[in-house]
Amino acid sequence: MSESKDLTRRHFLGLAGSAGVASFAARAIGFNLGLVELIHAESTKTAVTPFSFAIITDSHLFSIPNHKFDRSLEDAVSQVNALSPAPDFVVYTGDIAQNGREDQLVKGKNILGKLKVPLKVIPGEHDWYLDMGKAWNGMFGKETWSFDHKGVHFVGLNSILVKDFWTGAGLTPLQRMSTMEMLESPVAGPWGVREAQLDFLRKDVAKLSPATAVVIFTHSPLWDYYPRWNFQTQDAPEIREILSKFDHVVSLHGHVHQTIYNKFANFSSAGALSTSWPWPYPPVVLDYPGSQMNQSDPANTKDGMGTQIVSLGGVAGGLVTYEPFANSLTPWLKDGVKV
Amino acid sequence: MKKLQYSKKSYLGLAVGALGSLATVAIFARTPFTDAQLADQQRELLEVVNKGRDLWHGSNPSMSTNGLACGNCHPDAAAANPQTFPKWVPQLNAVAPLREMINWCIVHPQNGKALDTSSADMVALEAYAVYLYRGEKIQPGYTIPTPPVAVKSGVGFPYKPSGLGVDK
Repeated sequence: MSESKDLTRRHFLGLAGSAGVASFAARAIGFNLGLVELIHAESTKTAVTPFSFAIITDSHLFSIPNHKFDRSLEDAVSQVNALSPAPDFVVYTGDIAQNGREDQLVKGKNILGKLKVPLKVIPGEHDWYLDMGKAWNGMFGKETWSFDHKGVHFVGLNSILVKDFWTGAGLTPLQRMSTMEMLESPVAGPWGVREAQLDFLRKDVAKLSPATAVVIFTHSPLWDYYPRWNFQTQDAPEIREILSKFDHVVSLHGHVHQTIYNKFANFSSAGALSTSWPWPYPPVVLDYPGSQMNQSDPANTKDGMGTQIVSLGGVAGGLVTYEPFANSLTPWLKDGVKV
Repeated sequence: MKKLQYSKKSYLGLAVGALGSLATVAIFARTPFTDAQLADQQRELLEVVNKGRDLWHGSNPSMSTNGLACGNCHPDAAAANPQTFPKWVPQLNAVAPLREMINWCIVHPQNGKALDTSSADMVALEAYAVYLYRGEKIQPGYTIPTPPVAVKSGVGFPYKPSGLGVDK
């Protein structure tokens, strides 16, 4: 992506006379550079004042005192606090806790409380299925929200809702939590945001003009990446349909513990590094294989983990810059991913 | 008759005739296992594989003091690459078999107590990882990342587990 960094918008526009050419050029160098969006931004002039925010996610805190994942989340908070310029806010995209226990959520809230900027949070499955979100809601409020900031509309949804597999089976809350904890559990079934949140989203965006920049946060990706590991959201097609009227939507998610990018029409999606451990890439042929980071070195306890900064507005439109704790990025990823 | 077992054409010729089944029996040097015996053997194997799956997800507390299990980083044994062992393992500074790598993960990321490499638990862990990678090309020494195996449904092998997690 170093090519993109050196080119100004004028060069881009000169290089790519049409969206088709731009798309072809992006594919030809192995990665989508967001050229189409760039041209579009030029023509529509959306009123986005350039700013940035940070994403921290998937800390998976255990109840064990002084656990290594506590230190990892503390490192993430320090890293974000040290950013200059400071991000306007931080979004946490789920899985503060490992087993959904209140003490784990409290520990996470305390560590995240050291952030110098405001925090918005959505839940992950590890936060939720011990008490069905009771402790989480008590600490972090509603899990479905939206707000506007500097011309951008932000939405957060709870994407980890599954059909009831526990009542019929007579499972205890702990058994329900344990089942949800296992990534490859054959029991729990696919996640989604479900009808109530789809309604929320429909109403939430009804009055927004198509030129409004929209950023949506979910724990799981809003595309069928690898359903077996719930690297998916069952009603993502409905979400994308609701948001199809907008010129450009950016979807940012946790859960996958890895760098990953995909794009559908007006909808671009990027995954986030965790602070706990990296998941391996699943056996899937990707449209954008360049968005894979290096395979992690198990001997380096920080490899494949980190935080990310999302910059919006200005020439680039949107840029996700991964901030790994170790040297985990390929040269392609080091300059960030256009979204 | 002995040559028949190596000659497809002759074998097929015989098979077409009524003597086919007799010829098949004749090529065995000793009495084959009965179907019932083979089923028993397979069941024994799958029980060990299933035990390995539970161990992979934390059923032996001695393997971890920080709550982490193999499955945290290796869902469906992804990136375990059992088919590439033995190979040079930088962490061990030696050519090592899969079981030594498993013990490294137990001792370091999981901060647990290494298993006896010939223990039933270690056999089960190996059995689980290798079983999921069945049919993969054996490539000892291969260090380039290989994609994990795609597990289509269930637990990846024909067995009926609870499906529940085992961590407390």
